[in-house]
Amino acid sequence: MAVKIGDWLDERLGWRQVWQAIFLRKIPKVNWLFTLGSASLFVMINQIVTGILLTIYYVPTPDHAYDSVQYITNQIPAGWLIRGLHHWGASAMVVLVCLHMIRVIIYGAYKFPREITWFTGVILLLVTIGFGFTGYLLPWDQKAYWATTVGTRIAGAPPLIGDYILRIVRGGEELSAITLARFFGVHVWVLPITLLVLVSIHMYLVIRIGISAVPKREERHE
Amino acid sequence: MSEDNQLGRRRFLSVATLSIAGFMGAAMLVPAVAYVIGPALKRNGDQNWIKLGPASKVELNTPTLFKVTVENQTGWIANEEELSFYVYTENGRDYIAMSNICTHLGCRVRWIDEQQQFFCPCHNGIFDKEGLVVAGPPPRPLDNYEVKVEDDQLYLLGG
Repeated sequence: MAVKIGDWLDERLGWRQVWQAIFLRKIPKVNWLFTLGSASLFVMINQIVTGILLTIYYVPTPDHAYDSVQYITNQIPAGWLIRGLHHWGASAMVVLVCLHMIRVIIYGAYKFPREITWFTGVILLLVTIGFGFTGYLLPWDQKAYWATTVGTRIAGAPPLIGDYILRIVRGGEELSAITLARFFGVHVWVLPITLLVLVSIHMYLVIRIGISAVPKREERHE
Repeated sequence: MSEDNQLGRRRFLSVATLSIAGFMGAAMLVPAVAYVIGPALKRNGDQNWIKLGPASKVELNTPTLFKVTVENQTGWIANEEELSFYVYTENGRDYIAMSNICTHLGCRVRWIDEQQQFFCPCHNGIFDKEGLVVAGPPPRPLDNYEVKVEDDQLYLLGG
């Protein structure tokens, strides 16, 4: 039965070829370090699912942000779990993405023909850090407020343009309702769209070019 | 390794992978559903004794209006809601507490002393002093509440 449905769909969609290309592609003999990219992808999916769930209750205004987060954590069934997964997933994401990058550097996997995979990966690292920075403010507690005060002040450190950057990031002189709203907007719209576009390119290239093999120790010809 | 053996291994791995994925999906889906529908399952039918005020304020044979403010919590927002009740007694011992909300479409009814009737301005619903429908569109009497008196204070069971 399942085979029949699969055949019926395959005739119309050609999904088997896609499945084959994604999941049954040939790879060189590699080690566990090569799973770090998939691990990042897995945590990304976790962040998307739990993040969407959090927006069902979260309100990004100074008078309700903290209370709505407390409501999620203490009143909603499994709210502590959803928030916890998003919170710890955020840290896991940064750690995994960095480890993934270190593996790519050490194995020299950024070289021809994988430069574009590497460049998109570098931007994805920045996007991940952007997610961390903007998401940190959203609970609107003391830690969030002061961490963002410090973080935006750092953004304001460069000479000449520093003050403009600071004002643009904060949406004014002070950390305010405007800051919270724009951090929320960036966190749930700008960064996710950027992330999805870049991840699509990144993974298309991984599938198209194939993953790199573990570099071999070259024999010396003397 | 024979051909059969290899297929067995491949099959096992794909079944194992799919099972783990399915398990993780379910482990996520169940809390997610609970999370989304959670507040919808909460009934705000928690009945509390609401303090109205001194029982001596109620005049014999005249429904008397009490206004009270109740706190209620919707999500993370605490609201203060003003509720009004008419309390009626014939003998100063047995009290009837009625909602001032018309059972037709929810307008506020008013006690008209000259006619000895409750009158609803929206569609001319008329109730008698015990809240029973006299005329007009209301489908049922004014809502009643259980009442108690403690130390001359009137309490009403509502929510």
